[in-house]
Amino acid sequence: MSACTLGEAMIFNLARTVENGTLVFHGFGSPLVQLALHLARRTHAPDLVLVAGATYGVNPTPAFLTPTSNDWALDRGAEAALDIEELFDLAASGRMAQMFLSGAQIDRYGSCNVTRLGGEKIAVKLPGGGGGCNLSCDAGRITLWTAAHRSPPQKDGKRRFRLVEQCDFVTNLGHRTSDGRPRSALGHRGQGPDVLVTELGLFDFDAEGQLRLRALYPDVSLDEVRASTGFPLAVADKVEVTPLPDASAVAILRTLDPLGVHLKELPPAERERRFPIA
Amino acid sequence: MSNGVHGGAGKQTSLEALARHVRDGDCVAIGGGLSAREPMAVLRALIRQGRKNLKVVGSAHGIDIDLLCGGGAVSASAQSYVGFEQDFGMAPNYRRACESGAVAVEDSCCATMVAQLRAAIQGVPFLPLRSIRGTGFEKLHPEFRKMTCPFTGQELLLVPALAPDVAILHAQYGDAKGNLRIEGPPVADLLFAKASKTVIATVEKLVSNEELQRLGGVSVPGFYLAAVAEVPFGAHPTACYPFYAYDRPHTAAYLAAAQDGPESFARQYLQPFVHDCAEHAAYLDKIGGAALQRRLASWQDGPEAWQRLYQAAP
Repeated sequence: MSACTLGEAMIFNLARTVENGTLVFHGFGSPLVQLALHLARRTHAPDLVLVAGATYGVNPTPAFLTPTSNDWALDRGAEAALDIEELFDLAASGRMAQMFLSGAQIDRYGSCNVTRLGGEKIAVKLPGGGGGCNLSCDAGRITLWTAAHRSPPQKDGKRRFRLVEQCDFVTNLGHRTSDGRPRSALGHRGQGPDVLVTELGLFDFDAEGQLRLRALYPDVSLDEVRASTGFPLAVADKVEVTPLPDASAVAILRTLDPLGVHLKELPPAERERRFPIA
Repeated sequence: MSNGVHGGAGKQTSLEALARHVRDGDCVAIGGGLSAREPMAVLRALIRQGRKNLKVVGSAHGIDIDLLCGGGAVSASAQSYVGFEQDFGMAPNYRRACESGAVAVEDSCCATMVAQLRAAIQGVPFLPLRSIRGTGFEKLHPEFRKMTCPFTGQELLLVPALAPDVAILHAQYGDAKGNLRIEGPPVADLLFAKASKTVIATVEKLVSNEELQRLGGVSVPGFYLAAVAEVPFGAHPTACYPFYAYDRPHTAAYLAAAQDGPESFARQYLQPFVHDCAEHAAYLDKIGGAALQRRLASWQDGPEAWQRLYQAAP
């Protein structure tokens, strides 16, 4: 094995955010994150308490991923199962260390919109955020991801950004409210977003809670990231190349998702990207 | 109904009679979640009966809410999620109904709804939450109020009790008194059952109470239930394990019809699968009869057989 795919590289970088011995939750409709947690548990975080989205199974060992999240295949081997109130209580009472969220819009302070595009008149009704709103406030930290950062010009020449100056609707709270109040003023239990993993690079949040570029994939330039970002992007003093998985991590991932369910999260052109690995 | 307690037997009824417990304008909580254990047969009956102006509340849903929207039965949605995840994406009928204004968008989020149901279950007017403050849901729900905690000084958000008019559930097993046994993730069904004014359910199999005990016990006590009907494959095309897996090809065909617009959806899906199937047996024939039922039960043959159900690229 001499190369990994973009999806595998993103999963690996999501897995690196996971701390051993903590309780983490992945939502539904997010196979990249689901695979990241299973990879973490099989590598550096064997004592992870992995709670699966939709089934709320604890430490399941699915033989394969299914195209939908509420499938018995996904809670096979689970040590225990939680119910819906217990799951959200774990976050509200401080036991959930980390949750993963995304959005059709992600703003410069890490708030996400999965509710609706447009103003008072709804232009696009998005599916909604599930329990993401509550968890964005309550979970210890929020790790963000999207595989659709790249925003090429549309037919009208305009770009429809995924990373926007301000969300049309704040479904999940980042480091600032839409009227500019800092998250710290609200007294939420969770500390907010810590990392964003996209198909272009890796980001953290600076002392003001603003998104900041930390690393680029080997085939991405800083200019490409800037052009695909809807606000002036803060950039770390030294921009690294994103870490890539080794052959053993890639082998684990290929056994976990034989149907390639995670590929549906990637725009078709991104599925072709490959990176040489050790 | 007496204070929401139904002690007697004689609750077993037909699918159509069961569905008549839902009235125009009701706030309806639909059980199950995403592609599993949705009470689809009841929802098709509601559309055939011409129910209108329902308000739907729930956590993470898909084809159930989309079908009701496509059938013109919904006028408001306080769902937390309605879609088909990364596999098929957005829910076309739901989206159209929300964007046209036919359905009022009153989105919720799971833990908010859970707190509201718990308030109703506990008989208190509200419960406090720390979350939500600072998000768009504060403005979307002016009925939420804030208070300062008298013990800690922390600002809290108060969400009012939510007692849906009707909870519609589909369980694997039940008995004639309405005792239900739900296997696998219950999603919000137990909360819906306890918080709602009326609870109705379809089950794959009606069995004796002794058999329910033998299977592992009761999930929802029968006194909550107003009516129960035995409707095998009543959750199709969503899954109802251990009986059958999710029917992904049927769902893909449903979405293809819905994505082509309301007329196409009415012609290609509502007419053949809902209106022309007044008898549930006709629906079972229409979707593929015994061969389809065998295919969806083949997940039990092992991981390879299970994967094959999802392998074809619809």
